[in-house]
Amino acid sequence: MRLPFLSMFLTSPFDGIQEHAEKVQDCAWAFQQAVECYLTSQCQTFEELRREVVRLESEADAIKRRIRGHLPIGTLMPVSKFQLFRYLREQDGVLDAVEDALDWISFRQVPGFPKDLNKDFFLLVDAVVDPIEELSKMAREARSYFQTFNEKQRTKVKSIIRNLRHQEHEADKVEDTLKSKLFNMDIDAVSIYHSIRLVEIVGSIADHAENAGDMMRAMLAK
Amino acid sequence: MGGEYIVLIIGYIFGFYMAWNIGANDVANSMASAVGAKAITIRQAILIASLLNVVGATFLGSHVTNTIRKGIVSTQILSDPQLALIGALAALLAAALWVSFATWKSLPVSTTHSIVGAMIGFGIMAGGFDVINWSKLGAVVLSWVISPIFSLVIAFFLFKLIIRLVLSSDDAGAAALRWSPVFIGSAVFVVVLSFLFKTPLGKNLSLAMPSALIIAAVAAYVLGMAGKWMIRRFVIGPQNRGAEEIFRRIQIGTSCYVALAQGANDVANAIGPLAVIYFLVKTGAVGAKVPVPIFLLLFGGVGIACGIWMAGYRVMTTIGTKITTLTNTRGFCVDFSAATTVLLASKLGLPVSTTHAAVGGVMGVGIARGMEAVNFRVVFQIMIYWVLTVPAAALTSMLLFWIIRWIYL
Repeated sequence: MRLPFLSMFLTSPFDGIQEHAEKVQDCAWAFQQAVECYLTSQCQTFEELRREVVRLESEADAIKRRIRGHLPIGTLMPVSKFQLFRYLREQDGVLDAVEDALDWISFRQVPGFPKDLNKDFFLLVDAVVDPIEELSKMAREARSYFQTFNEKQRTKVKSIIRNLRHQEHEADKVEDTLKSKLFNMDIDAVSIYHSIRLVEIVGSIADHAENAGDMMRAMLAK
Repeated sequence: MGGEYIVLIIGYIFGFYMAWNIGANDVANSMASAVGAKAITIRQAILIASLLNVVGATFLGSHVTNTIRKGIVSTQILSDPQLALIGALAALLAAALWVSFATWKSLPVSTTHSIVGAMIGFGIMAGGFDVINWSKLGAVVLSWVISPIFSLVIAFFLFKLIIRLVLSSDDAGAAALRWSPVFIGSAVFVVVLSFLFKTPLGKNLSLAMPSALIIAAVAAYVLGMAGKWMIRRFVIGPQNRGAEEIFRRIQIGTSCYVALAQGANDVANAIGPLAVIYFLVKTGAVGAKVPVPIFLLLFGGVGIACGIWMAGYRVMTTIGTKITTLTNTRGFCVDFSAATTVLLASKLGLPVSTTHAAVGGVMGVGIARGMEAVNFRVVFQIMIYWVLTVPAAALTSMLLFWIIRWIYL
């Protein structure tokens, strides 16, 4: 029975946003494993992990489409629809960047990343995984804020956003050091190109997380 | 006289059918937010809704019955008892059929609108277009627009108030407890006032405005404090400190309030025409006003309760699974604004739709940024069906009037 009272209630986009954020977090783990595998010489599971990330990404895409497709004109929400979409785009950008990084690795079969810089690269991966975890925490806490409009809760979300900004800055620094070291290595040009591009893609994960934080800050504005 | 009694029996059947339809169709309005916010179970909702609809119909519903008929259609068509009898039967059946059709087809219509449309159809058949009091009809139409807006405004400010006083404070649970007498008390205040001014019992007491206000205020204070004490005593435990948990209990009270208001308001839709038939058969004539005997109101209330029992489960199940975003503070605002609107409007003698009041309440909370996602455009969809309902019920009524007259005369 379709009642007028019921047709007013739409599926909450916040459900989807949280679900999407969880997918992003799931990816982070697989991403870390995959990179670790790539850097060690005898890697068996890389392709498997990459496929896992591709699967998660397509699931997250379906969630994203579901959210976008179910907010008709005239929907009342605690936040502007387009701010929400922009936020979602950035959150999705994190996942895309993770997938891109693994794809980029898979294009070159021979492991070409200089062994001496493995440690630095792990540092970078850790630096971008932190913001991913912070991101899903932010999605959860922000939803709670939009339910209570509690000032304390708002401060909490704002501090998460601040963390994201700092983490991005840290990741940038690691990325820059790694890049300058790469350019001063005595290795073939193709390896340098492949490595530099890889470092850039991985670095962009943190950028997207920070952008998502910035969009969240805009949604929090009173 | 034998034939007349057959007519009366048919009238009872049609009246019961209409009341049944009201119950089946409108039950969602009173209990949807409570079930959606998980304040009560489906079974409890059906029990509460049917009981309180009977109580509301019997003890609070009487004033509106006159207005629907008297206001819009001129009484001159009632001068011929035969014609009036046929007309009332036709109107009753037409409205009931239209509501049945709508329930079957899942169209959002209002039972109030249906009966008004059916009455207009009867009026046109009996006395032509002249008997329709167009300005009165205009006022009624206006009240249909006003009621959701009124409800919207109440819900908006109420929700803003709850945010400011309760949700945004550091210890929301403690704040909810502190302010609970105010929220409970204001609901009690409106109920008591409408009880004192609207019901036959209250009118017998013939209280002046100041003393009525004092009585209502005292009752509000006492019950508000009692409510707070009960919440403190029974609800708050180590794991039960949230504001939502407290509002969950308050919401049980407000959904009762809606069911009561709904019974008071909607019983007239079924019983108004039945009262006309009853008086025509008993006395042979009918005046401008029909004093509705209490057993007719009870009859209508029971009819609504039967409708709730039979169709309620299906409706409630849908609600329980579909509304997942409604929390108890939001549900409280929707309930409170809808019930207040309906009680105030029926106090003014305006036939309002509980559907519209409930929809207005949800929109008010939505505008106050309280809902995770609600579709504002449904309001326009409802308006389209409202525009459709009146002529559809009127046409059905005209057709039935023509058929019954052909059989009867």
